[in-house]
Amino acid sequence: MSTDQQDEQGEDDTLVNVADGVDHQVAMVMDLNKCIGCQTCTIACKNLWTEDGGSEYMYWNNVETKPGEGYPRGWEDSGGGWESSEHSDRSPGEIPDEEDYGRAWEFNHEEIMYEGSDEPLRPRDGAEWGPNWDEDQGAGEYPNSYYFYLPRICNHCTHPSCVEACPRSALYKRQEDGIVLVDQDRCRGYRYCVEGCPYKKVYYNTVSKKSEKCIFCYPRIEGEGPEGETFAPACAEECPPQLRLVGFLDDEEGPIHKLVNEYEVALPLHPEFRTQPNVYYIPPFAPGQHTEGGETVDIDRIPRQYLRELFGDGVDEALDTIDAHRQRVRQGGDSELMELLQDKNPAKQYRLEVFDDE
Amino acid sequence: MPASGPSWPRRSVLRGWSTMPDHRRTITLTAVLAGLIVVSTVAAPMVSARPAHEIPVSEVSTADLAEPDADGWAEVPASDVPLSSAPSSVPNADDTSIETVDVQAARTDQRLYVRLEWQDATRDTNASTPRQFADAVAVQFPVNTSSRPPIAMGGPDNRVNVWYWSGSTGTQELLAGGAGSTTPFQNPTVQANASHSGTGGNATWTVVYSRQLDAPSENRTDLRTDGDLDVAFAVWNGSNGERSGQKAVSEWHYYPFSGGPQGPPYETLLWTLAGIAIVAVVGVTSFGIYRTRGAE
Ligand code: SF4
Ligand code: SF4
Repeated sequence: MSTDQQDEQGEDDTLVNVADGVDHQVAMVMDLNKCIGCQTCTIACKNLWTEDGGSEYMYWNNVETKPGEGYPRGWEDSGGGWESSEHSDRSPGEIPDEEDYGRAWEFNHEEIMYEGSDEPLRPRDGAEWGPNWDEDQGAGEYPNSYYFYLPRICNHCTHPSCVEACPRSALYKRQEDGIVLVDQDRCRGYRYCVEGCPYKKVYYNTVSKKSEKCIFCYPRIEGEGPEGETFAPACAEECPPQLRLVGFLDDEEGPIHKLVNEYEVALPLHPEFRTQPNVYYIPPFAPGQHTEGGETVDIDRIPRQYLRELFGDGVDEALDTIDAHRQRVRQGGDSELMELLQDKNPAKQYRLEVFDDE
Repeated sequence: MPASGPSWPRRSVLRGWSTMPDHRRTITLTAVLAGLIVVSTVAAPMVSARPAHEIPVSEVSTADLAEPDADGWAEVPASDVPLSSAPSSVPNADDTSIETVDVQAARTDQRLYVRLEWQDATRDTNASTPRQFADAVAVQFPVNTSSRPPIAMGGPDNRVNVWYWSGSTGTQELLAGGAGSTTPFQNPTVQANASHSGTGGNATWTVVYSRQLDAPSENRTDLRTDGDLDVAFAVWNGSNGERSGQKAVSEWHYYPFSGGPQGPPYETLLWTLAGIAIVAVVGVTSFGIYRTRGAE
């Protein structure tokens, strides 16, 4: 599928590995050290894309507490992805159960507001699970308990197993920017994509009977907004601490390329699924452990092994690199990396127009 | 196929053998054998059950056939069509649960009616949670009735029409030119009525499809064809997660629209040729024996 032009680019202009037949690859970096778990991103996304019938239970963007079951419950053990880095054999996956996503509960508003009931406000029927049911629970024992928030969207993977899973080629990776979409005209609701995505980021619309997923807000990045302006995805723009960088992985002047490929401090989630995600995370730091007496000691609060399970073995070096640059700045030195991780200049944070002239 | 010719008249032949002079005996034997062979070759296709892949179509003048339990179906013969898992690359493709479907067909001068009945203990008509799949059934015809398309959803140059009914989405009329290319027609011209009856292991689905004989548009099968009409069937059991290529399918069968009940022309032709060949061989052999003996 690749054209001559892309082949030339692949060889001459860039070392960045984008998928075959894709000109450029959108990407996002999220700094987990800044997430306050406010769910503004989740709601921004929901208001825009998943308010209609059949999509109530979907959160294309969700923020879950780690360690924790996540959304849908147990997604990390639900299969999907590739057997090897050859990307020839997919591993089978499972469709999550309705209860694992969590149903929309009904509350006793009626009784309390209009019928004078003294009951506390609560869900009507047995509410036993839902997104963020285990919010802030985390792991570890006082005084060394720990948790952090993990915002998740579709990773618009370079080797999307959701695309490969569809027998009708209803899912595809857009040539211009690598965004993975579901063609609603081709989809017949078979849900092989739902089970085939190891991140469980394709959802089945129970009314339209077709699959849906994060579209990386492509109408916004295409400038389809009211003023014809380009906007980053809503989850990024609405985030109070502005922890998301949005741009192209193969934009070598941009911060994403530097963080991912030069400094190697932004890492994909669960690289062992081998779909090669294009959403990257700056791994979380936490204060050292405390003794019973309240003294800080030099022992990782978040077990390093747990972070390796999430972000792969690259996490050790990523944390060391960030640490070294921090020390440098503390001692009065300069660090481009520290500036990138703190930069509030929106022109740099969202670089979506760099390839517009092509 | 069951043995079908008259039983072997062993005794009379033996008696003839013992009482006649040699050359007369040989001639008589030859004549009897030849006669038997001719009788059996001609009789076989006429007396036997119809050819294995033929599904009879009753010609009826008026139709009370649209509903699964319509009285008219009592008069229409049924064929047991065996099903097996379709070859497919989707996960669990070989895990299908429906092994046979009963097929009836009837034709008025306006419409073709096809009634399908199969056992399925669970009535799965809901696909409104992520894990639910609906029961479904499909009938497949070639768009161009003069040649037989690849059985798996046809091919790019040899497309198929599919009449599809599912418990959750109702009836669809589809066009396909190979696996994964299925496209629904905008305005379906196929009607389907379905019912699930009985309980437990004996519960069955019955679905009746009907469509006018004339092709309603391009890319739709002309059912007024004079030739035999190829037809194939597929069934999905929703509660077993069956959908897409995970389905129980039949081989190609045919409706014998080309004429009488004796099967398609090529089969009769083959039988006739085989009969003539056998008679000729026996004749030549007997003549040889006769000559040899005469020379003694
Ligand atoms: S995260 Fe899942 S849905 Fe998104 S591109 Fe990757 S495999 Fe497909
Ligand atoms: S809006 Fe930002 S800070 Fe709030 S939960 Fe989402 S990513 Fe975290």
